Amino acid sequence: MAIQPAVLAETEPAEPAAGRLWLRALRKPLTLTGVIITLVFVVLAVVGPWIAPYDPSAVSDAATAPPSFAHWLGTTQNGQDILSQMLYGAQASMLVGLGSAVITTILSVLVGVTAGYLGGTSDELLSLLANVFLVLPGLPLTIILAAYLPHSGSLGIILVISLTGWAWGARVLRAQTLSLRKRDFVEAARATGERTSKIILRDILPNQLAVIAAAFLGTVTAAILTQASLAFLGLTDVTQWSWGTILYWAQADSALLTGSWWWFVPAGLAIALIGTALSLVNFGIDEFINPRLRQAGVGTKKAQRAQVSRTRTKRVKRAASRRSGPRQPRPVGTPFTADSTDVILEVRNLKVNYGAVTAVDDVSFTLRRGEVLGIAGESGSGKSTLAYAITRLHKPPAEIPQGEIRYTNADGSIVDVLAMDDEQLRAFRWEELSIVFQSAMHALNPIMRVGEQIEDALVAHRPGSTAPERAARVVELLGIVGIPADRANSYPHELSGGMRQRAMIAVGLALDPEIIVMDEPTTALDVVIQRQIIDKIMELKDRLGFSVVFITHDLSLLIEMSDTIAVMYGGKIVELAAAEDFHQRPQHPYSRGLLESFPTLSGPKRELSGIPGSPPDLRRLPSGCAFRPRCPVAFDACAEHEPELYQIGSSQAACLLYSSDHAVKIGETA
Amino acid sequence: MRTVLRKLGFYLLTAWVAISLNFLIPRIMPGDPASHLINQFHGKLSPAAIQALRVLFGQPDASLWTQYLNYWHSIVTGDFGISYAYYPADVGTVLGQSMFWTLALITACTVIGFVIGTGLGILAGWKRGTWLDSLIPVTTFLSSIPYFWFAIIIVLVFAITLNWFPLSGGYSVDTTIGFSGDFIASALYYAVLPAATIVITSVGGWLISMRNMMVTTLSEDYVRLAEAKGLSRRRIMYKYAARNAMLPSLSGFAMSLGFVIGGSIVTEVVFNYPGLGTTLFKAAQAADYPLMSAIFLLITVMVLVANLLADVVYVFLDPRTRES
Repeated sequence: MAIQPAVLAETEPAEPAAGRLWLRALRKPLTLTGVIITLVFVVLAVVGPWIAPYDPSAVSDAATAPPSFAHWLGTTQNGQDILSQMLYGAQASMLVGLGSAVITTILSVLVGVTAGYLGGTSDELLSLLANVFLVLPGLPLTIILAAYLPHSGSLGIILVISLTGWAWGARVLRAQTLSLRKRDFVEAARATGERTSKIILRDILPNQLAVIAAAFLGTVTAAILTQASLAFLGLTDVTQWSWGTILYWAQADSALLTGSWWWFVPAGLAIALIGTALSLVNFGIDEFINPRLRQAGVGTKKAQRAQVSRTRTKRVKRAASRRSGPRQPRPVGTPFTADSTDVILEVRNLKVNYGAVTAVDDVSFTLRRGEVLGIAGESGSGKSTLAYAITRLHKPPAEIPQGEIRYTNADGSIVDVLAMDDEQLRAFRWEELSIVFQSAMHALNPIMRVGEQIEDALVAHRPGSTAPERAARVVELLGIVGIPADRANSYPHELSGGMRQRAMIAVGLALDPEIIVMDEPTTALDVVIQRQIIDKIMELKDRLGFSVVFITHDLSLLIEMSDTIAVMYGGKIVELAAAEDFHQRPQHPYSRGLLESFPTLSGPKRELSGIPGSPPDLRRLPSGCAFRPRCPVAFDACAEHEPELYQIGSSQAACLLYSSDHAVKIGETA
Repeated sequence: MRTVLRKLGFYLLTAWVAISLNFLIPRIMPGDPASHLINQFHGKLSPAAIQALRVLFGQPDASLWTQYLNYWHSIVTGDFGISYAYYPADVGTVLGQSMFWTLALITACTVIGFVIGTGLGILAGWKRGTWLDSLIPVTTFLSSIPYFWFAIIIVLVFAITLNWFPLSGGYSVDTTIGFSGDFIASALYYAVLPAATIVITSVGGWLISMRNMMVTTLSEDYVRLAEAKGLSRRRIMYKYAARNAMLPSLSGFAMSLGFVIGGSIVTEVVFNYPGLGTTLFKAAQAADYPLMSAIFLLITVMVLVANLLADVVYVFLDPRTRES
C-alpha cells in the first residue's frame, strides 16, 4: 500500500503586511526613542550654524570658563564658545556619517547584489575581495590613507571611510541576494525573460530594504566614530569644526589637566548618543528581519509561568517518592484491542490560547496502553499545538487556561501533568513520555554525536548508571532501530535522512517511555524511507508495548496504522472513532470530505472531490460550527449552536446532524 | 584540517593584498610622498638609505613592475627603511620595542572582553524578558562611546581626580624593562586603565550579538527536544543553546577584532602607552611613511594570525566543518 503524499492543505499562517510590521517596530519604545534622538540630531545638524550663538572660532576673554548663562557649555582655552562648536561640529560629523553611509551602501549594494545575482566566477572573485577587505584592519588603513592626504576635508574622509568600509554590507547583501534568487517569484521572472536590471530593481532590491537600512545605519555610526578618531588624532583639517576636532583641541590644550571637563564631555556624549540611537533603531530592524528575536526563550520566568497560567491545586494524588527509588516496572500489558480499558493518558477539556486566539479548544480524549491514536488535521487545526501542550513544551504566548492531562503511573496512581512543578516535570519527561519531531535534521543537535544525544537522556534520568552501562544501552538502542553501532560516534550531518529519523526514534526510546508522541515523523522523507520508518515504528510498538500519539495530515497513512483516529478542525476534535469505523463510515461532513479527496486503496474507482474553501482563520472563527462555511449539508441552526461530540454507534462526531433535536428537523426536511 | 588549510590560503592572499596596497598607496597618492619624505630628513640620509626609501615609496625612474619586484625584495629581507619620527632608529627596531606592549594588551583585553561579553550574552539571551534585557540599552551606549573619549573620562576620574592609577605610560620610570617582579607589577598597574577602557567598550558588541544568537538558537527544535528529554536547565543552556549560538560569534571574530584594534590604537594614544597605537600616531603626525606602513603590515599579520586561531577553535567546536 502506497502512502499518499500530503493530502490536506498545508498553508502558512497569514503574516500581516510588511508595512504594518514596520509600524509595529516603531511602537517599541526603544526603537521609537532611537528614531526620535536620530531625528533631533539630524535637525540640529541642518540648522546648527544658524542657531549657534557665536562664531565657533571667535576668541574672547572668557578663557576656559565653565558653563554659564552666556556660554551654556562653557568656553575653550581661547574663549571660544563650545556650544557653537558643537552645533557646527554636528553638521560636519553628521555629514561625514551620512555621506560615508550613502557611498558605502551604494558600493555594498553594487558588489553584493552583482555577486549574488551573477554567481559563478564573478561571485567568487567579488566575495573574495569583500572577505579580504573584511579581514584587513580598517582603522590602521584609514589612518594611513588619511596621513597621505594631510588635513583633508570632509570629502576626503568620506572617500577614505567608504573605501575601507563597504565589505561587510556587501557580504550580507550577497548572501541575501543568493537566497532571493532561488525564490519562486524571481525564478518566474527570469523564466519569462524579464531584463536583469528590472528583476534586480523590482524583485530583489525591495526585499532587501531592511538589510540595506541596517547596513546603512551601522555605517553612519561607524563613520561618525572613525571621523572622530581621525580628527582626534589630528589627521583631518583641524580648523574645520567637528566633534572630533573639539576633542583634538581639548587634548592638545590639556583640558584634562586643567580639569575643564565641559570641554570634552559634550562631544563624546553626542557621539555616544547618536551611536546608541542608531543601534536602537537597528535592533528594531533586526527583530523585523529575524522574527525569532521577538519570541521569548525557554529560560525566562515569564515563559515558565506562562506554561500553565493558573496555580493548580494538586487534587490528584501523586505517587510518593517517585524520583528516589528505581522506576517501578509496569506489568506486561496485553496487546491492544478495541475493548482495552487500560487508560494511560487522559486529556480532559484541554484548551490552549495564543493570546486572544484559541488554538486548541476543549479537547478531550483517552489513550490506552499499546494504542495508536492518530490525530489528523490541516495546518492550523491545532494538532501540533496539542502535541506540544501534552508535554508542556508550548512556548509563550501559548498558555493553557483550562484542562487536565492525567497520566497513570505504573503503580496505578494518577498525576496531572499540568500540576507538576519543574522538577517533577523534568523527571516525567522522556521517562514516561517522549517525542519524535518532524525533522530530525533540526531536532538533533548538529554539534553533538548521535550517541551522546541518546546518552544525555540516560545521564539525566539514571544518575546511578555507569558509563559502560550507558554505552551498552546506546548500542542496544541503535540496534533496535537498525543503525550500526559504530554510528554512535557520527554527527547528525553524517547520517542519511532516513538514518537520522531512526536515530531520532532511538533517542525517543532511550528510557522505555510509555507514550511516544510523533509529530509528522515521516513527512520530510521520501516514500520508500517513509515506509521503512513506519514499519519500524509499528514493529517496535508491538515489541516494546508503548502507546503512540501519531500526528499527521496524511490520512491514508493514519487509517493504516492507527487504532483510533481523532480529526481536528479549528482547534476542536470533530470526530473520534476507531480507524476501521472511520474509514468505512465517516460521520462528520468534514471527515467525509477528507476521505473523498483522496483515492481509496481497495474500494472501487470513483471521482475524487476536494473540500471547497480554505482552513478557518482561528482569529475569526465563524459562529456556531467552525466548518459551516465549507459544509455541504449545513443548515440554519449550524450558525447558532456549537456542536458537541455526539455518540453515533461506536463513533463520536461534533455535528448538529446528530443532535437529537436536529435529527428530527432533518427528518422533516428530507 | 582542509578547512584550516583553505583559510590559511585565504589569509596568505589577504597578506599579499595588504602588502600590495602598501606598495600602491604612496604611488597613487597626489604629490610625491617619496621625495617629500626624503626632503624631511634634510640631507641627513646616506645614499643607501635614500635608495631604500625610494624602493619602498616610489622610484620615478623605474617601471611599476620593477618597483614592485624591488619592493618585495625589501619586504622579504625585512628592510622597512629608516624611521623619521624616531631618527636615526630603523623601523624594525622601533616596532620591536612597541609591538609586545600592544600584543599583550590587546590579546588580554580581547580574551577578557570576549569571555565577559559572551558570558553575559548567554545569560541575557537565556533569561530574555527579565531585568537582564535592560542591559541592552546600557551596553549599546557603552559600545557607542568612542574608545578614546571613554579613556579620557577614565583618566579624569581614576588618574586625575582619585589619583588611584598613573596618568600615562606603560611602566614606572624607576623600573627597568626585564623579567623582574618589580617591572611586571608596575606594567600591570599601568595597564589597568587602558585595559579597562578597551574591555568595557568592547564587551557590549559581544554581549548583544551573543544574546541575539542565543535567542535565535533557543527556538531551534533541538533545544526544544533537549527540554522534552528532561535534561537539566544547565545542560540545555550550555550544551545545546550556547555552544551552537557561539559559532556565528566566532566566525564574526575578524570584524570584531578589527574594531577592537582600531579602538585600542586610539586608546593607547590617550594613555601614551608605549605600544603600536602611540607609535602609529606619532608616525602619522610626522608623516613618517616607513613606520606607518610597517605598522599597518604588522597589525594585519597579527589580525590574520588571530583569525587563524579563531578558525582552528571553530573547527574544533563545529564538527560540520571537519568533513573531508
